[in-house]
Amino acid sequence: MLAMDQGVVEEWLSEFKTLPDSAVSTYAASLKDKGALVPALYKVIRENYSDLLEPVCHQLFEFYRSGEPQLQRFTLQFLPELLWSLLSVSAARDPHTSGCIEALLLGIYNLEIVDKDGQSKVLSFTVPSLSKPSVYHEPSTIGSMALTEGALANHGLSRVVYSGPHLQRETFTAQNRFEVLTFLLLCYNAALSYMSSTSLQSLCQLSSRVCICGYPRQQMRRYKGINTRLTVTSEFLVQLITGIHYALCNGEVDLGSKALDDVLYRAQLELFPEALLVGNAIKSSLHSAALKSNNKEGARSIQVEITPTSSRISRNAVTSLSIRGHRWKRHDAVDLGSPDELMDISEVDEGVWPGGAGPDMTPPTITISNSVTTLNLGAKAMKKCRLGGRTSKDKDKEAGPLMPGRAASENTELSVKRLTLTSSQSVPKAGALTSLTRTASAVFSRSFEHVASGNAPPSSNHTTSEAGRYSCSLQEEGLAYLSPAPNHTQRSPSISVHLGSDL
Amino acid sequence: MTARKSGSRLETEIERCRSEAQWDKIPELVRQLSAKLISNDDLGELLLGECKLQTYLKENPIKQGTSPRVQRPKLLEVRKHLTAALDRGNLKPDYIQEASLLMAKLCYVEGEYKDALGHYSKVNLDDMQLAGAPVYRLSMIAESYATKGLCLEKVPAASPSLSNKNAGSPASNRSMTEREQEIITCYEKSGDIALLYLQEAEKVCSGIQNRSPKPGPTAQDQELGYFLETGLQRAHVIHFKNGNLTQGVGRFREILRAIETRTTQNLRMTIARQLAEILLRGMCEQSYWSPVEDPPVVSPLDDPTRQGHTHSKSYSLSRRPRVYSGENLFCPQENTEEALLLLLISESMANRDAVLSRIPEHNNDRIISLQSASVVYDLLTIALGRRGQYEMLSECLERAMKFAFEEFHLWYQLALSLMAAGKSARAVKVLKECIRLKPDDPTIPLLAVKLCIGPLHWLDEGECFAKMVIDMGEKAAEFRAKGYLAIGLVYSLKATDASLRSTQEEYQRKALGAFQRAQSLSPTDHLAAFYLALQLAVSRQIPEALGYVRQALQLQGDDVHSLHLLALLLSAQKHYHDALNIIEMALSEYPENFNLLYTKVKLEAMCRGPEEALLTCKHMLQIWKSFYNLTNPSDSGRGSSLLDRAIADRRQLNAMTLPDFSDPETGRYTHLKSTCSATLTLLVFPPCFLFVSSHLTSIFSFFLPLIHSSIIAPPLSQEVQICSVHATSIAASRVEQALSEVASSLQSSAPKHGPLHPWMTLAQIWLHAAEVYMGMSKPAEATACTQEAANLFPTSHNVLYMRGQIAELRGNIDEAKRWYEEALSINPTHVKTMQRLGLILHQLQRYSLSEKVLRDAVQVNSTAHDVWNSLGEVLQAQGNAAAATECFLTALELEASSPILPFTIIPRAL
Repeated sequence: MLAMDQGVVEEWLSEFKTLPDSAVSTYAASLKDKGALVPALYKVIRENYSDLLEPVCHQLFEFYRSGEPQLQRFTLQFLPELLWSLLSVSAARDPHTSGCIEALLLGIYNLEIVDKDGQSKVLSFTVPSLSKPSVYHEPSTIGSMALTEGALANHGLSRVVYSGPHLQRETFTAQNRFEVLTFLLLCYNAALSYMSSTSLQSLCQLSSRVCICGYPRQQMRRYKGINTRLTVTSEFLVQLITGIHYALCNGEVDLGSKALDDVLYRAQLELFPEALLVGNAIKSSLHSAALKSNNKEGARSIQVEITPTSSRISRNAVTSLSIRGHRWKRHDAVDLGSPDELMDISEVDEGVWPGGAGPDMTPPTITISNSVTTLNLGAKAMKKCRLGGRTSKDKDKEAGPLMPGRAASENTELSVKRLTLTSSQSVPKAGALTSLTRTASAVFSRSFEHVASGNAPPSSNHTTSEAGRYSCSLQEEGLAYLSPAPNHTQRSPSISVHLGSDL
Repeated sequence: MTARKSGSRLETEIERCRSEAQWDKIPELVRQLSAKLISNDDLGELLLGECKLQTYLKENPIKQGTSPRVQRPKLLEVRKHLTAALDRGNLKPDYIQEASLLMAKLCYVEGEYKDALGHYSKVNLDDMQLAGAPVYRLSMIAESYATKGLCLEKVPAASPSLSNKNAGSPASNRSMTEREQEIITCYEKSGDIALLYLQEAEKVCSGIQNRSPKPGPTAQDQELGYFLETGLQRAHVIHFKNGNLTQGVGRFREILRAIETRTTQNLRMTIARQLAEILLRGMCEQSYWSPVEDPPVVSPLDDPTRQGHTHSKSYSLSRRPRVYSGENLFCPQENTEEALLLLLISESMANRDAVLSRIPEHNNDRIISLQSASVVYDLLTIALGRRGQYEMLSECLERAMKFAFEEFHLWYQLALSLMAAGKSARAVKVLKECIRLKPDDPTIPLLAVKLCIGPLHWLDEGECFAKMVIDMGEKAAEFRAKGYLAIGLVYSLKATDASLRSTQEEYQRKALGAFQRAQSLSPTDHLAAFYLALQLAVSRQIPEALGYVRQALQLQGDDVHSLHLLALLLSAQKHYHDALNIIEMALSEYPENFNLLYTKVKLEAMCRGPEEALLTCKHMLQIWKSFYNLTNPSDSGRGSSLLDRAIADRRQLNAMTLPDFSDPETGRYTHLKSTCSATLTLLVFPPCFLFVSSHLTSIFSFFLPLIHSSIIAPPLSQEVQICSVHATSIAASRVEQALSEVASSLQSSAPKHGPLHPWMTLAQIWLHAAEVYMGMSKPAEATACTQEAANLFPTSHNVLYMRGQIAELRGNIDEAKRWYEEALSINPTHVKTMQRLGLILHQLQRYSLSEKVLRDAVQVNSTAHDVWNSLGEVLQAQGNAAAATECFLTALELEASSPILPFTIIPRAL
């Protein structure tokens, strides 16, 4: 290490100590003018045995603890280098453990896992749903197609925790090491836009080395450092990939794509689906982007051009959209509100079915859970549905009708569209009911909620009255389930209809 | 407006045609018009000029990125008409403005940018009324702003004929900036007015035709044309070109917040995707600002060299496009949220455009629709993967399947997402399709084996997949060793499952061969050495196993399973203290590993007495609590909480071989050597365990209610009614599964959910504690502990077995027998229960039945030394001395290599 570098670092060390609290923010802003400082600090971290390492780590921690965002980012930019230092030392089973680096990293971790009141921090985000209006869309214009069971299963916006709560850690152990490091990378990734290109390069190097050390590819990359294999976790790789993705798109094309390749190589060997998934997606999306803009200029590869606004797909091609319109006409007679539904009305007792009953007799009502339509259906139409079986199944949906007896657990996994149908005349066979009520009642709350909040279908005046009918039918289903004895034929006015359409 | 007020039918008709761009009808209408009034001639000229210009542009559309320079003669007529209209000056002011704008447009088309700007300087565009203007005029104003922007870009800033007259010092930086600002403002205004125009046009259109907004080829799609397209997009293109990300993002958001029209759908889809790309590629959580907030003044997103060039939005319009509004609008607060929302919107549109027909004519369309969809799905994968939402991702990717015919990438991504979401069975099915599409990739069958060995326990399928990798030979390169490892694991697990000794031995032999092959192919892979060691250990080749486990540890010093195996091997050699040291060393690196802790309890009870073991049990409960109790109850599920994540790693759930009491090798606190002389009685525990320190018990029982009340909330223990704590016997777990289904259906309609793994761990801890108490001959405490486990899993055979043991300890032989029989009815191959039952039958002098049970047990597990011993006793009692001797000898021999807990508690997974 050069004496000059040492001087710069020592000056930096002493300067901050004497700084009054009021001057911290101006000091933070002035840091980026110290051109020689950052490279000198990198040197200190890389040379593990430097005497300066301990005070430097200490000061970096002080920076982080100050809470001043600019100072925190100053510390964070060294994170990839610090991680590598820690990992390579632990892999080499070097007795000279870099205790101060461990302390710095654990310090940052312990600061970040709690909020300012000292409570465990939970990082969460809202999963947007197309079924709720947003600043960018209106659910009705999206059409029922996107409001599939997946969207309905998350009806409403659900808040999901993606990190935390985490335990305080006093030491690194083999067990918690990657948990801590993954979280630290998450913090780093949250500040990616503020990171210098040196830091991004260091991240790419870290990624490559962690993934290839000890594997045949190490020779290919001509990296001569440690040659023992480092254990990694899939989550850690996913965080690395997130950083690499940013680096790739923001100037570090060469190092970034090498790093991505290396991470994917390792993810293949370790058979990590998560890392493979995200890595493949990045590769494929960048591949198509690279074809479009063949620019070699580094900077930011975020490129936007004027694109034609008319559809590039010729009019006469059969698309999901056009085929829907097609289908719609075919079913005009039945006027099922949602033609893409698959109807599979399971065993209905023919005898009790009202023979020639016209639509004026209290008609059965179908509520289709995935389209906001509530409509009335004459008994005739009803019968047609039943006889037709799966007439109105979309061709683009893959699987067949759901068998009534299939295990409920599988239902949830395949998340099947369901439909509950009540009719005051017909009576189901007890056996059919048993299997259906379970699923029907499970989805009930959702489908009802949807109906209630649905916006003005043609027969929306039914919605309110439906509420009452639903709750009562549910109850009866419950009863029916508990006592599937024949005596309930007398009073159970409910059928469950299963509309399954696997996606 | 004046034009409206005079509202004759003819004028309305003309307005309609202009709005709907039906230029071919204009000449006829003009003829009718001029028949009425002389003064209308000028209007006629205007209309004719317009219609000819528009018709020309429709037939010869200008391409983006090119600058038109049409030869004058072609448009001479247009110029004539317009000049005529302007020169006479009889027109109403509105029409004069229109004529000037058309003239300017004509100049642009002919490449006369300065002339065009000259015309624009005559008309003050900003003064043109937007409120109440007819639809066609909105379009005209929008086009004019765009054209003006285009002209300003072409004409050098220093040019004197600028509309910007106060550009004092030419070529100065300041005027450059002002110039740029002016250009951008032109485009932004053009874009805003264009959006307004499209919204109004659609309103008029649907009003007249009263047609449902159902899309279909019937309604004539309005095309934007070069000028409006430019107006809508050029502003953000310039922002991004200048590295001004904040402004570009702001512009994107403005366009997207405007209520969509049919014409803007494609634009919105593109822009939504592009914005999502920027959010994912160029932004991070800290540099994000929400769409309803003002952008930060200084942002790292903007090109620092151009810092200070930020343009503030400086214009206002009298009328703006309508935006999405209303109560409870979702507004993203984070970059991933916004990206996801945008991608879901794009996805719904891309999905709608999926070309389904496979006839060759539509090949191109199909490729286009596939490309635009797969970009969206890739971005969705990036966004959701970052947040660990694999379940939702797998649902999204399943929607991509309509594009996926013969598309490897989409199939593979679906398979991976299913795998990450824990939907293993489906994942394997999809992986099969991936293998068909790309038979040379060894990763895919290996992924399938991983699932087959792990969560699915489909060993036959696993074998097939592993063979595929091996059959690739040299092509599989680095994966070849992995293939042998995989098949070795399959055989090893098959050996454990096999009920016939000959089959067991056959599989063990095959497994050993495969592991040896893997190890020789990849000598630096610690896993190969480790599994070889484990397999050798299972076949009781202890010294050889020790050699390989040391090798594995040299390659990977802190591998938990290698350390555990080493400890077990040492215990098999009866070096209990060394084993305990290793376990403690391993625990310093893996303090929360319950498997290690179970072994520690056993070893401590052996070396240091039950008090220490009880302390460890207490410690385990503390760890369990701190580990799983962190879970935030307000989480809304979906793999978010710690508990959920614990289960998300489902590979562990089924494959995890908990230190199962069913395993015949389970260490007993006995040395057969000392008791082998056929006098072994029910008292299995060495006398030292009878000394009980009473204060310790009180500590522990103090801890008991604490854990109980705080953790096992009543609803949970109800929900988790029945479950298998056992993994080696699939039949048993199936029975339990079936039982649990019945139980849960009786309970309520609420779906039985919640991860079982943490509860299984808890039950295990209690059972271990119970066993320690048993060793101390304290049946009351043991019962209490067993009850805790029973609250979680009442019909687990392990619980029943433990109850039987307690009954035995209390001397209730009949009760014990009942418990054992119940345990066996749940898991008929539970060797330890069989052994105890055999002993009881022996006591009851039902020798032949006892012999039968014990012989069955030996069939199931031939390395269970205590079963051999019991069998010997029974045979002796029946007077079959020769056979008894053989049994005792076998027992002795096996005992010499028996570890304190079975080797198979170490999980075997790829």
